[in-house]
Amino acid sequence: MQGLYAVFRKELADHFSSYRFVILFALIAMVSFITSYVAGLHLKEGLEGVAKPKFVFLMLFNTPGALFSMVQFGAFFGPLIGIVLGFDAINKERAQGTLIKITSQPIYRDAVINGKFLAGVVTISIMLLSIVLVISGFGLTLVGVVPGVEEIWRLFIYLIISIFYISFWLGLSILFSILFKSIATSALASVALWIFLSFFVTLGATVVANAVAPLNAKEGTSPEILLKNTTVKERISLFSPMVLYTDASTIIINPMRKTTQSLILMGPMERISASRFENPLSFAQSLIVVYPHVTALIAITLICFAISYLVFMLQEIRT
Amino acid sequence: MELNRKGCSLGTIVTLIGMLALIWACFSLPSLASEKKNLPERLVRVYPEYTGVVIDEGEGVSIDLFVKNGGKKDETVDLKVIEVPKGWKAWIKTYSYGVTGVHVGSDESRSLTFRAEPGKNVGPGKYVFKVVGETTDHKFKSTHVITINVKAKEKGKKSKGVNITASYPVLRGPTDAKFEFSIEVENKLDKDAVFSLTAKAPENWDVNFKPAYEDKFISSVRLKADQSQSVAVEVKPFPLAEPGKYPIAVKVSSPEAEGEVKLSIILTGTYKMEVGTSDGLLSLNAQKGKPSSISVYVKNTGSAPLNNIHFLSFKPENWKVAFKPEKIETLAPDALKQIEVTVKPSDQALVGDYSVSLNIDAGKVRKNLELRVTVKASTAWGWIGIGIIVFVLLGLVILFVKLGRR
Repeated sequence: MQGLYAVFRKELADHFSSYRFVILFALIAMVSFITSYVAGLHLKEGLEGVAKPKFVFLMLFNTPGALFSMVQFGAFFGPLIGIVLGFDAINKERAQGTLIKITSQPIYRDAVINGKFLAGVVTISIMLLSIVLVISGFGLTLVGVVPGVEEIWRLFIYLIISIFYISFWLGLSILFSILFKSIATSALASVALWIFLSFFVTLGATVVANAVAPLNAKEGTSPEILLKNTTVKERISLFSPMVLYTDASTIIINPMRKTTQSLILMGPMERISASRFENPLSFAQSLIVVYPHVTALIAITLICFAISYLVFMLQEIRT
Repeated sequence: MELNRKGCSLGTIVTLIGMLALIWACFSLPSLASEKKNLPERLVRVYPEYTGVVIDEGEGVSIDLFVKNGGKKDETVDLKVIEVPKGWKAWIKTYSYGVTGVHVGSDESRSLTFRAEPGKNVGPGKYVFKVVGETTDHKFKSTHVITINVKAKEKGKKSKGVNITASYPVLRGPTDAKFEFSIEVENKLDKDAVFSLTAKAPENWDVNFKPAYEDKFISSVRLKADQSQSVAVEVKPFPLAEPGKYPIAVKVSSPEAEGEVKLSIILTGTYKMEVGTSDGLLSLNAQKGKPSSISVYVKNTGSAPLNNIHFLSFKPENWKVAFKPEKIETLAPDALKQIEVTVKPSDQALVGDYSVSLNIDAGKVRKNLELRVTVKASTAWGWIGIGIIVFVLLGLVILFVKLGRR
């Protein structure tokens, strides 16, 4: 891996010194802090009357503050970080003619793409870690609750999932920067795909679900059809990385949630039985519930990177 | 007309006679009083209330004896029973002591009691007693005969002086129940007596005596002559007693008399059941749509066999709970049986804790067992997920190896 470290270090230095990164980071950090701060303020009201609150610390992340919770915010705007970090990774070098210069050095070509991707991932990791740590610090002073071991584990897994999620968008934008020679095109393509996957897939899922199992608003829908409708909608929505990520992180951050499904058919007896033991899930069980989601996220991230690697390695770059 | 006059005169005659009778009656009262003064100089009579009685074998007789002085002078009368059949004891007495003489004022009478008690070997038959009353100067003598007919009596009731009857001498019930007999104690003695109450019961049994409708324990009862009282006998069987018939002998005794009654209790045994798991754990892990089983034992801790034990379950919808065996025909005392309970959560069950309650019904007793079923997420995806990741990583490595170094 000759030259990988050099590329990696140079890229990291570029990221941290670039204005666009600093602006974006400042924006995201600010919004996160405000969200968590408001959540912290609301926490006291939410905990009133609860005999023995559990996982108070995690509520900083999953309680909707001003508009949405920290987790939701990460799901919506996390991809922007990835896109901003990667959309001009290769074609900018190409446009400035530096790519040939680099490859004429004793640096292998794969070191360029590996180094760029790795630098992006590390940047994302540092960014997310610092945000989570600062929010935790906030929480310690604001709420005065020390997180337990399980809560730290849950936060850790949340961090990992988030890193992979944003890295997916990083990999995707790097792929576009390889595919399109123009920086503007690749940026637009990335943003377009982001909007499509994040918002239009869920819309399309609703349309398909209504076609397969039409809801009858006038006479009321039978529970079976309603259930089928939601199931179809949720299955199709899973094509959106945002849905994958939201499902996974919500379950991890909120131990009281037992399923990613939004609608379940429950008999009265089952409800009685379930409400008798309204316990939070154990960490391992939460993890197993969203294990498919996490696996899928990691897999699409790796596949996305593999495709960009493949395309870059096979491309003619000297011209 | 003639006839009519005759009838009329008849009516007047009747009325006249009636009026005369009335007048005579009115005047006769003072005439009676004056007659008292015309009493004979001396007249003493001794006579019993009944001259012949019929009694049961072994029982004594008390007959009122009147001594009447019909003369003008007060008299002192000696009393004696001159003829007593063999084996009998007879005397004259007042309430509590024997009497040999009595003083009777003029135109007064005294009532005494003639008492006769048979000896042990007095059989049925006719017995004649002679009672003589005689003034101290032997001038007047009054003799009376009392005949006592002794009737043969059913055997087994040879209580002397005290009679005990139990209206329900046999009681039946489970071993852990409290039995209460009601016995009637009758004092046949001719005087007040304190009877002590004792009972002979199997070992470790608890027998107590209580007055009827009162909640205190007594060990003796005071009875006036010929009075009877009901006493409750409370019996608590030994909890570990086997089912069967147990005799209880209740003895009522005073220094003079003694009586016994035989009671019995039929124990049907107790109906008790214990239900649990061998390690005491009432929680169960299961995966949705997959059966998971737990072993439950049923133990008959009572002393009677339990029949037809069947099982029911109270569970969330679409769950399946199966028992193997489905029911137990008989379970002898102290016997233990294991039942395999298979719980299958529904395919749609969410991860989390549920309650499944088992009802073990043996007719006379029923027990409830609540299981906490934790539905765990299926780990089937585990290997598939790892496989996908490994596959992707492998592809990446192949790419690195093939395309690297260019």
